Amino acid sequence: MRASSHTNIHAVAPEIVLEFLSHTLPFNELDADTLRNLASSCIIDFFPKGTVIFRQAQTQVRHFYLIQKGGVKIYLKDENGTVTLKDFRGEGEYFGALPIIQGTNMANLNVETVEDTFCFLFPKEAFLGLIQSSPKVTHYFLRSMSEKLVKTAYAQLRQHKMAPRTENALFLFSAQVGDIVKGAPKTIAATDNVQMAAARMAELHIGSLLIHDQEKKIIGIITDRDLRTKVVAAGLDYQTPVSQIMATPLKTIPSHQVCFDAMLQMMHLSIHHLAVEQQGAIIGVITTHDIMLLQGTSPLYLFREIVAQRTIEGLYPLARKVPAVIRTLIEEGAKANNITRMITVLNDHILDRLLTLLVEELGPAPLPFCWLVMGSEGRREQTFITDQDNALLYADPENQTQAELAVAYFTTLGEKAIRHLVGCGYPPCPGEIMASNPKWRQPITGWRGYFDRWLNRPEPLEVMHSTIFFDFRAAYGDATLAESLRQYLVRNVPQQEIFLLHLAKNALEARPPLSFFRNLIVEKDGEHKNSLDLKTKGLVPFVDFARLFALKHGIPENNTLGRLQILHEDGHLSHELYSETVKAYEFLMQLRLIHQLRMIEQNQPPDNHLNPADLSELEKQTLKEAFEVVRRLQSHIRQEYRLGEG
Amino acid sequence: MSFFSISELFRPTHPMFAENKHYFKTLDQFQPVEEYEFVVLDTELTGLHERQDEIVSIGAVRIKNMQILAGETFYAHVKPEKPLPKNSTLIHRITPQQLESAPPLHEVLPNFIYYCGKALLVGHFVDLDIAFLNRACRHLFGSPLHNPCVDTLRLAQIHLERFGVPYRNKIDGGHSFNLTELCRQYGLPAFVPHDALQDALQTAYLFLFLIKKFQGEGYRTMREIFRAGQGSRWAL
Repeated sequence: MRASSHTNIHAVAPEIVLEFLSHTLPFNELDADTLRNLASSCIIDFFPKGTVIFRQAQTQVRHFYLIQKGGVKIYLKDENGTVTLKDFRGEGEYFGALPIIQGTNMANLNVETVEDTFCFLFPKEAFLGLIQSSPKVTHYFLRSMSEKLVKTAYAQLRQHKMAPRTENALFLFSAQVGDIVKGAPKTIAATDNVQMAAARMAELHIGSLLIHDQEKKIIGIITDRDLRTKVVAAGLDYQTPVSQIMATPLKTIPSHQVCFDAMLQMMHLSIHHLAVEQQGAIIGVITTHDIMLLQGTSPLYLFREIVAQRTIEGLYPLARKVPAVIRTLIEEGAKANNITRMITVLNDHILDRLLTLLVEELGPAPLPFCWLVMGSEGRREQTFITDQDNALLYADPENQTQAELAVAYFTTLGEKAIRHLVGCGYPPCPGEIMASNPKWRQPITGWRGYFDRWLNRPEPLEVMHSTIFFDFRAAYGDATLAESLRQYLVRNVPQQEIFLLHLAKNALEARPPLSFFRNLIVEKDGEHKNSLDLKTKGLVPFVDFARLFALKHGIPENNTLGRLQILHEDGHLSHELYSETVKAYEFLMQLRLIHQLRMIEQNQPPDNHLNPADLSELEKQTLKEAFEVVRRLQSHIRQEYRLGEG
Repeated sequence: MSFFSISELFRPTHPMFAENKHYFKTLDQFQPVEEYEFVVLDTELTGLHERQDEIVSIGAVRIKNMQILAGETFYAHVKPEKPLPKNSTLIHRITPQQLESAPPLHEVLPNFIYYCGKALLVGHFVDLDIAFLNRACRHLFGSPLHNPCVDTLRLAQIHLERFGVPYRNKIDGGHSFNLTELCRQYGLPAFVPHDALQDALQTAYLFLFLIKKFQGEGYRTMREIFRAGQGSRWAL
């Protein structure tokens, strides 16, 4: 019996708990009744210094712990018993929330008291009840743990949404390049000759040697391919000093970067060796072979296949292998940003190979030209389904003859390229924004004219259609042409107030699908009934926001995350909003990628329509948080442009 | 035979008391201490004279599995039979008006006895509280409380004899076993003194602290903890 049930006996609220909660975030936001209810479920426990309260992967978590007095350390222990200290928590701080919210109810870390510690324990039911009923509390925990939580959400996405296919844990995203390097760097003096280099490589069974000068400073690298192509094939004297054929300056990568980055860099540069640098010193070499050993279904294999193709038709089946490669990356814990970069790199290589072969077939172009990619491809944010958005830019012809030659050549090039791209499985653009359309094959003055018209006489509809053009980048050919067009925009757009205002209005078009009570709104009818359009409702507002402010501030970057980072670094975006935005955007991209990958594996054409009922509670919660960020971004735009609620 | 035993002949013992008497006679003292349920109590009195002074409030909190259940507290004001002496209000902050509207002890006590149930009772210098409660129980129910009592003051003394007090917390002129001072020495969260519930909670914190410190030294069962004091003059 509770004393409170008797008349005249004071209904007892445990004041010490109430008092404490009312001064502790986020509980101080709760109304008096909720607070009293919570306080009455409280259990007070004491843990002498050195008590292990949670044991990682062993302790069932039945309570949320709030530290009243004392302190704990939080640490991880790996299989080898190596301890990684994660955090210290003191008075007013908590632990145990994550396993409860996550629903695993299993300690994910070790928690040990570092002094005599009193804790308020709240049963997990009471804590969950609070999370469900109080948006402010939910917000607080999601926010303060968003880093951890988003990671967990990713882990859940990986586990729940994908049937496990590969058991072997691969290290592409965890292994640092410094860990892969074995032994001291193998070097040879710059004055030594190539024969000595070849002998030493044979002796050591390695494919490359670093080259040092008199001061023992490493200045370059020589590989077995150099010996083959630059020495033997070229008939060079074997007494030639290695300094004459070495690759210099040396391409390096910091030792703390993960192997994924090394792979990406090697693919970008089309090289097979990277020197690993640690605090200014070269500690060794990492090769494509090292990475392939780490990797089963490797993007590198695909990459090699692409660059080795001798016919355009040979490229057709390769583009379809991209999803399988991407799947491996997702299984290994790649974040969406890495994945879209990888898809972009692979697609860029396919395009590069395709156009190289096509130009070989057609003969050299009459004028320097540049193949532009736009939209998501231009922003390096491609996922599995990417309609073609491309165009052709060429140098201004000097006379009529040159102009006619150019039109003839680029018409053939544009039309053939688009046919081949369709053959590779890239769907044509429904709006015909492709290099096969004469409108989008223009000399540089033609393009300036287009941009001038969009900027000077902005019509709302035209602004909407033109946005993807502002995300152009060079994918093949003479990149300086694209660069000069970019510089033209960077100089001119920031002054175009009316254009920017239209762009701002356009960025407010997509309303986040949250009702007043922040429940998810799904499409009520049509083909995608009960589904949520992740692209237009979720991702587009982030892209629009980043584009608007990048253009406004004359930032030449295209990638949405890149734009956001520069906006933040230049002080146009608060740290808080920046980090929220990045997390939300990455989560949405990840959600979309996995959704699409799943559809591909079920032999359905991938789309952007997600049914929220298929999501876990945590994913739904995180999704709502992401849409809340959209709302904040849009209100930022409204403030900046003094636009009311439309 | 004492006076109270004679009175028991004429007044039938309340059934709950009889049941508790039997229960506690057979209580196994060799269980680990967290197996027992405790009620930590404190009373505020009009004065210290058992014969003439009265209880004006009772505060108590339950401990199960060596954890304080903050939601299962007991707190009641009691209307004394005699008017409140002026000086006592200065200590426990209960105004005569508050007590005027409070129920008398014979209404509060059954609820409190029921609340205690089969728990072991804990208090700081618990003998004093028990003396006042037992006088009322004998009078009303024909029997004293049979619940075994644990005194945190004695536990603290045993702890001091055995393990000492951290140097930094020592105060000049020896040790005080006053509740507030003890808790300060041990670095426990502080409560507002001289409120029955606050003092009960403070005592509960002290009890939890001391018991777990004993457990850390290898004393696991109720019996072992009480035996820890044997061989010293503070044997229980």
